[in-house]
Amino acid sequence: MTDRPGATSRRLRVVAPIVGIVVFLAVWEAFVQLRDVRPFVLTAPSDILGYLGKAPGDFFAASLITTRHALVGFVAALIVALLLGSVLVASPFAERATQPVLVLIQVAPFVAYISSIVLWLGAGDPPAYFTTGLVCLPAFVFAAVSGMRSADPASRELFASVDASRWEVMWRLRLPSSMPSLFTTARYSIGLALIVSYLVEGSNFSDEGLGAIGKRAAASNVGDALWATVFCMVILGTLGLGLITLLERWLLHWHASQRTV
Amino acid sequence: MSVAVELRGVSKSFGDLPVVQRLDLDIEAGAFVSLVGPSGCGKSTLLRMIAGLEDPTAGTVTIGGASPAELRRTKRLAVVPQQPGLLPWRTVAENARLLLEVNRRHQPADHPDPLELLDEVGLIDFLGAYPHELSGGMRQRVALVRGFALGAPLVLMDEPFAALDEITRSEMRDLLARLLERHPATVVFVTHSISEAAFLSDRVLVFSPRPAGVAADVTVALPRPRPPELEDTTAFVEVCAELRHRLHGAMYGATS
Repeated sequence: MTDRPGATSRRLRVVAPIVGIVVFLAVWEAFVQLRDVRPFVLTAPSDILGYLGKAPGDFFAASLITTRHALVGFVAALIVALLLGSVLVASPFAERATQPVLVLIQVAPFVAYISSIVLWLGAGDPPAYFTTGLVCLPAFVFAAVSGMRSADPASRELFASVDASRWEVMWRLRLPSSMPSLFTTARYSIGLALIVSYLVEGSNFSDEGLGAIGKRAAASNVGDALWATVFCMVILGTLGLGLITLLERWLLHWHASQRTV
Repeated sequence: MSVAVELRGVSKSFGDLPVVQRLDLDIEAGAFVSLVGPSGCGKSTLLRMIAGLEDPTAGTVTIGGASPAELRRTKRLAVVPQQPGLLPWRTVAENARLLLEVNRRHQPADHPDPLELLDEVGLIDFLGAYPHELSGGMRQRVALVRGFALGAPLVLMDEPFAALDEITRSEMRDLLARLLERHPATVVFVTHSISEAAFLSDRVLVFSPRPAGVAADVTVALPRPRPPELEDTTAFVEVCAELRHRLHGAMYGATS
């Protein structure tokens, strides 16, 4: 090892991921070109980029709509989970009563009931917001409750020793204690929220969002359009994860998970 | 500014298991009283009952004429737990004033400035540090400051130095003695360390194995203030020997 430590870590942090992605794209491109795969089955990265280049504005606008659907659902689920979690953590009975319902929501195949929700809530944004929020909710509630419950017992006694109110215990102790588990769940849920939004956009009769483009492309066997939406989704998901990582570094700097050693 | 603690017929059982049985105890205002005894004898339960964090099955605890609940409500009782219990997202300075920030309706009128206390315990250069950046001894010093910042007339400590190494322990012990000279209070102190009890206390209560009862009530007549060199005096060694003897008696039955 002749490298300086700084050089080694930069090579690991920046260069290694780029190398991984470039190799992946090259193998993909080569596979499609050499095996002559039909575009609908798999479109080469160069063709996807070419297609995106033809109408970048359309894809950008559609991406913004999908982002809005996913983000509203995601944030709504988080807020409801924090409110619900703070109630459930105080009442074991309510927690036991709610848990099976949340599990049902979590394991039910949302793809199957999307059309029912569209029929119920009508076309456009409402079914996208609702379904995304609903699908993201259970994992956030579980994370909020277990995180709030993990608050250090010594700290809890300390708060009790000065007769802190329920609100103070929640705000100053339980909520910060739940942050690590909420972030872990957020990393998983951000991708899920995008996927649910995409699927609802394919069924909500509004012709908006990446999901609508994808649905049309699939219906008419247009491979490059379909794969262009997949490409956009991957970019959105990566940006979302990046944003969560930044937030985590800022809000969770005190937590063991944010230390390199 | 300190209060007397009065226990009358205090009993505590967990299910069928009696932990404390019909205990009468008077702790005079301003005294430093240590509770020593075998592990699991109920000392900590007793301390938690004085703090009102645990209700006695029978009997009453009175602190300066009021109930423990009343003292907690008005923030006139400070607890220093065994684990420092610092909030990892708060800096040293923020942790030190935590108890002042909650339950604000009952702000103690005349409490020491947490920053001055941090200075007294040698942490003034670490105000912005987070708990994970501190050593175990430094964390426990923050916990001490957090307790003393209330200026409470009663301080309850549950083996506050048990998790520390020998060197840090004696450092903390001296520090606590100095803090108490400047900020007097009634202190009830649970410990496993005989020398710690001898060094700090006016009075040591030796407990018998569960259910807890006072097997010996030893007055420590060593002069104050107590400098670290006290440990090397014959008088100190004699107090330790007597405590050890009493503790042995409490654990294994009567001795000569």
